[in-house]
Amino acid sequence: MTNKDGVQLKVRLNPVFTPLVTSFAEESAKAFGLDRNNTLKLTLACEEIFTYMCGIDKDDKPLTITATNGIYFVQVNILCEVAHFDPRAFNLTAHISEKDETGLEDMGLLIASRSVDRFGIFRTSGNGIEVVLIKEKTYPETADAGSIEVKPLKTMDIQVPDPETLKLFARQIVSMYADNLYPPDFRFPGKVADMVASGEYNALLAVDNQGSIGGGLMWRWRVAGKKMVECYGPYLFNQLPGSGMAEKLTDALIGSISKTDAICLINEHPTPELPEQYFERLGIVDCYMPDGTLVPWSFYYRLLKEDLGAQVWAHPALEEFLHDQYKSLFFARKIVLTGYGGETRPPHSVLAAQFVRTQQMVFLRPIWDGIDASQNLSKHIEVLKNEGMRIIFFEIDLGHSWQANFTPALLENGFAPRLILPYAGKADIVIFQYREGVQIHV
Amino acid sequence: MSDRPLESIVPEYIKNFEPYIPSKPDPELMKLYGVDHLYRLNNNENPLGPPPVAQEIIRRFQPPMAALYPSGDSYYMRYKLAEKFGLDPDQFLFGNGANEVIAFVIKAFCQEGDNIITADKTFAVYEWVATFSGFEARLVPLSNFGFDDAAMLERIDERTKILFVCNPNNPTGTYWDSAKLRNFLDTIGGRQIVVVDEAYCEFVDEPDFPNAMELSREYPNLVVFRTFSKMFGLAGLRIGYLAGSLEVVDIIRRTCVVYSVNTVAQEAALAAIDDDEHIQKTRRLIYAEKEYLRKELTQIGLEIQCGEGCYIMIKLPMNDTLAYRKLMAQGLMIRSMTGFRFPNWIRVSVSKHEAMEAFITGLKRILS
Repeated sequence: MTNKDGVQLKVRLNPVFTPLVTSFAEESAKAFGLDRNNTLKLTLACEEIFTYMCGIDKDDKPLTITATNGIYFVQVNILCEVAHFDPRAFNLTAHISEKDETGLEDMGLLIASRSVDRFGIFRTSGNGIEVVLIKEKTYPETADAGSIEVKPLKTMDIQVPDPETLKLFARQIVSMYADNLYPPDFRFPGKVADMVASGEYNALLAVDNQGSIGGGLMWRWRVAGKKMVECYGPYLFNQLPGSGMAEKLTDALIGSISKTDAICLINEHPTPELPEQYFERLGIVDCYMPDGTLVPWSFYYRLLKEDLGAQVWAHPALEEFLHDQYKSLFFARKIVLTGYGGETRPPHSVLAAQFVRTQQMVFLRPIWDGIDASQNLSKHIEVLKNEGMRIIFFEIDLGHSWQANFTPALLENGFAPRLILPYAGKADIVIFQYREGVQIHV
Repeated sequence: MSDRPLESIVPEYIKNFEPYIPSKPDPELMKLYGVDHLYRLNNNENPLGPPPVAQEIIRRFQPPMAALYPSGDSYYMRYKLAEKFGLDPDQFLFGNGANEVIAFVIKAFCQEGDNIITADKTFAVYEWVATFSGFEARLVPLSNFGFDDAAMLERIDERTKILFVCNPNNPTGTYWDSAKLRNFLDTIGGRQIVVVDEAYCEFVDEPDFPNAMELSREYPNLVVFRTFSKMFGLAGLRIGYLAGSLEVVDIIRRTCVVYSVNTVAQEAALAAIDDDEHIQKTRRLIYAEKEYLRKELTQIGLEIQCGEGCYIMIKLPMNDTLAYRKLMAQGLMIRSMTGFRFPNWIRVSVSKHEAMEAFITGLKRILS
């Protein structure tokens, strides 16, 4: 199968096909624009995953590899039915000792997970396992050339920018706003242009009839479920109070997504210009400024549809928090309690970590359930603290009972539930924050 | 089982289309929001219900009749309307609510590459049906809450087949008068189909409101939509129709699904249509309660858009979907307007005084 966005290879799970798999990964990564270094890393990750799967299942099962061009990244999905897949090496805490021969079989997975920027592991029907590997392109960081002088606009039109204007806009944001008011990707204008070209990001700018940029905002679809849109801004450049620009940009944004799949809109980087009447505050978590000052961090949220009510899974230990939150936010929810009743669970859990190093912050998400959830989480905290992370969040999706069942492990390890993001995942997402040395608002 | 993924046989325009999820039934919503009553102020239903004579028809329906198919083309209704409007019975086509006749028209005239034109902030079903049928819906921004005739004309190209005008507009209540509609039809010059949706026309008592039925004699490309769901209080039975010249209706008939209007709906509508007293009674209620709302909302200091029809729009100093949830928690179901591309606005159906008082009390509570 080929099309402009993706190519696919179907092989059997047999080491004889290893050169074919690596050639496929390498050639598609090159074709989709990865540079040599990143191509080799993605190829290596694919090779290691394939070799690992061949090692644990000798039945010549069919395996499908799909490479997709995400414009600013290349994604490889490896889909196969294998027995006894244990992905523990995908944890950032994993390390293999040369002396420990029992762990050597996991070495391939460890190498694979460290060779890519993002990964995911999903169960499909039956014994199916899908491993997703994402390698991003490398872009030059914006040069600190100072901001362009902008005067208050006399006329204003809301427009979708062309790539060059978009890059100017990104540079202007970085030069005029603090680091915590925009995502780190904005420091790479070329990447921003590619993210918009990929359709993942969108931008709207307020410009006058001379083309001067008075401000703008950006938004992206949160990958999971395509139900949540994250917006950034609005960013206004020297505009007079009462210009109405922030409201017009927000109106235009909502108008453009109100009839799509999106159920909700969130702003995790609210600028002082955010028109608050369009949003509701979900709650506050703690954040540190680069100078170490502790500041409250508000999550601004807006539902785009009428709430029809929903059902969520919850561990009993989280029930009271959920009741209180849903009551104060006026969300209609049926809370269904869950918990393990002695059934067989996989031995090893896997957590994914997304770093925001400029803010010493990390988001953990459960990728795979396992009996060792609590110990694994404890090891993650230790590693993250050693890496200087001061803010550790953990997100669970209440649409998956196995994720709801991470609650005891989280509470045992010093996490406290802080807020709910309704409809942000398969169902609502609860954000926990690690609380050592952090003031708790819950 | 085939290994061909289902996704591979789905057209792109369907993949990209968002399905409309209707509200849960009232008892379920009441359970979820923990309330023991619910004022339905979201669907512009007639608070007085169907006319008494139609209610009697519904009560007297003989259950064994449910085993028989209804008249496939609403035979008696078409003759009744022909008599009422002085047209031919073949100038009418019935559907399972006016929503269904929208699809008849689009299917009859559009093919791959064609487009339709309507407003960006109006009844959404014209846009939906066109989009999920694979046709482009060109949306023209409202001007001062009304359909912008000049801008709609500007968007016409050689692939434009239909222009939809909601008159009066839902949700803004603005309308085109006779002169404006005539001018629009004259400019189009028969090159495209013009649909005038008059779902709320019975609520309008203005001398310059156009008589589109009459205009269909002069303009063979004009199609008029009417419904029994609003003024006649038969929303639960689903019956609506279109009217036009013999020539245009003959074409649309080819895409019309027959037998889609049930027997009770046909008989109840037949009885309802002559009940002028019910229309007057409903109008008096709507005018009085609209006036009450207008006064109260002005006192609160809220911006309103109050035109024709049995609804009123209110701009809130808060997110409308949050207002929806807070009002639902008080047993008040309104329509949040983000889905109409009117963020922070809500639309309230005008209802009996008790419901309107409850709404004002509830609104004051959430704004305080």
